[in-house]
Amino acid sequence: MKIVVCIKQVPETNNVKIDPVTHNLDRRGLAGVMNPFDKNAVELALNLKDTTGAEVALLTMGPDDYAESVREGMAMGADSGYLLSDRAFAGADTLATGYVIAQALKKIGDADLILFGRQAVDADTGQVGPIVAEFLNQPQITYAASLRMSGPNEVTAERLLEDTKQTLVAQLPAVVSVRSELNTPRYPTPRNIQLSFEKPLTVWHHDDLDLDDTRLGQSGSPTVVTKVYAPKPVKRELTPLTGTPSEAASQLIKALKERQLI
Amino acid sequence: MSKPELWVIAERRLDHIEPTTQQLITKARDLAGDSFKTVVILLEAATDHLEDELKPYGPDEIRVVRDDRFPTATDAEHADALQQLVETYHPNGVLFGATITGRSIAPRLQAKLQTGLTADALGLRYDGETLIAVKPSYGDNIMCEITIPERRPQMVTVRPNTFVAEEAAGPAEITTTTVTFHPVARLQVTAATPVVNTATTVGDASRVVALGRGAASAAMVNHATQLAEKLGGRIGVSRPLTDQDRFTHDDQIGQSGNTIHPELIINFGISGAVQFLVGMQDAKTIVAVNSDPNAPIFDVADYGYVGDAQAFMTALLAQFN
Repeated sequence: MKIVVCIKQVPETNNVKIDPVTHNLDRRGLAGVMNPFDKNAVELALNLKDTTGAEVALLTMGPDDYAESVREGMAMGADSGYLLSDRAFAGADTLATGYVIAQALKKIGDADLILFGRQAVDADTGQVGPIVAEFLNQPQITYAASLRMSGPNEVTAERLLEDTKQTLVAQLPAVVSVRSELNTPRYPTPRNIQLSFEKPLTVWHHDDLDLDDTRLGQSGSPTVVTKVYAPKPVKRELTPLTGTPSEAASQLIKALKERQLI
Repeated sequence: MSKPELWVIAERRLDHIEPTTQQLITKARDLAGDSFKTVVILLEAATDHLEDELKPYGPDEIRVVRDDRFPTATDAEHADALQQLVETYHPNGVLFGATITGRSIAPRLQAKLQTGLTADALGLRYDGETLIAVKPSYGDNIMCEITIPERRPQMVTVRPNTFVAEEAAGPAEITTTTVTFHPVARLQVTAATPVVNTATTVGDASRVVALGRGAASAAMVNHATQLAEKLGGRIGVSRPLTDQDRFTHDDQIGQSGNTIHPELIINFGISGAVQFLVGMQDAKTIVAVNSDPNAPIFDVADYGYVGDAQAFMTALLAQFN
């Protein structure tokens, strides 16, 4: 069995600032790490590797420094990695990203299970998994809360909708995105960190893939970001509650009664 | 020349309509003005009448497609049916709830249609025929305005509870149409069961007791549970408390989680990170209790107490008793 886990590198903190002059995001000095939700997908793959001997590959698209996250996943235990890196891919939205990822998956070939984290913590869309599933014409199970092999070529998963639990059975190949509650990702061991540098990391550029150039990067992206800003909460006039906790609590109860809230 | 259509894709939740659908109808009517026709797309079983739950919200039209396979259809089957409808009627905009279901079906439809999809929007407006969606990023620390200038339809998933559903007089003309149901092999929904104990989520609660880093002790959680019961409400938490076993991201306010607008929220030990404030600032009455007089939460609160959260909580509970 072959599993490909699609991962993304994200800034290590979400405390990004807007440059007051250019109004662009100021990401200077922010180190990149593997998207935390993707580690749950890597863990699921490694778990299946432990129990079934599956082969686990990682796949990401981004600048050359995204190799760090691929190494991190290989240090967790993945067998190999693919980095899709080209200036032509830059500025891609979810549709253009999903296209290149899908084309790379076709080239990798024969993946039985394609895994994604629930969403990236920076852009928060969770769209690339279903887009890839559609482009590959594969069934999808999103937001899986559990997943097990229920046959030689079949997985059974539970999906938690807002107030419903669904059980789904998929015959492979299939695309699955996982919830973070699914597992606790393992840490790289010193031995696996050492081994990770001997594992193959393949970098594919534009010409290595079969691509329609009109579907790439910024020009292949239907969405356009027209404005970026920091949200400003709306200020209210504060009535202070004063005195001892008991006095302040009785002021609050009086106010809530006046507002017919209690 | 008929008006361009703005669609709301109705979502089923067990035997009812998911509330985000009604919220989106109200917002769509507001967006449409005199320039667009609001159409709700409803895929249901032959004997269903979920349109009855949509009609009071007054869209221009409720377009129903009936097939007994829809209630248990997979994401790909839903997306296939919606693709056929889009290619027949060519809507200008298509709105989904950013529920798990909406966020799973919409991107598949987007990929079929090769158009744009903005995720998890918190705001929507039209500029002419261009739909501008406000999308949070970086855990709600940053807002982006996103448009889809050249392709149609303009697709958006909208965060639940961002808009308030209001009943309205409107034509609500019910029409039926058909699609060809293409069953997708290799995936079966074998069971669907209601999850107990989530009858009220923090997003649905009209009264919320919110706990943050300064109110994270077991005693505080215990007291907050009692207070929430007395108020007929629910506990919500800021991000640090989601590390505790008893809370999950579903209990979290703000941060790509729940945007809430309860009648009342009482915040204990929450200083007020931007994403939290934005997530709860539509509450009608906001109370803040924090030991730091400079905490940003006081800027958006109606009532504030500077002092020990535990002491205030104890006093408040005692007086409720």
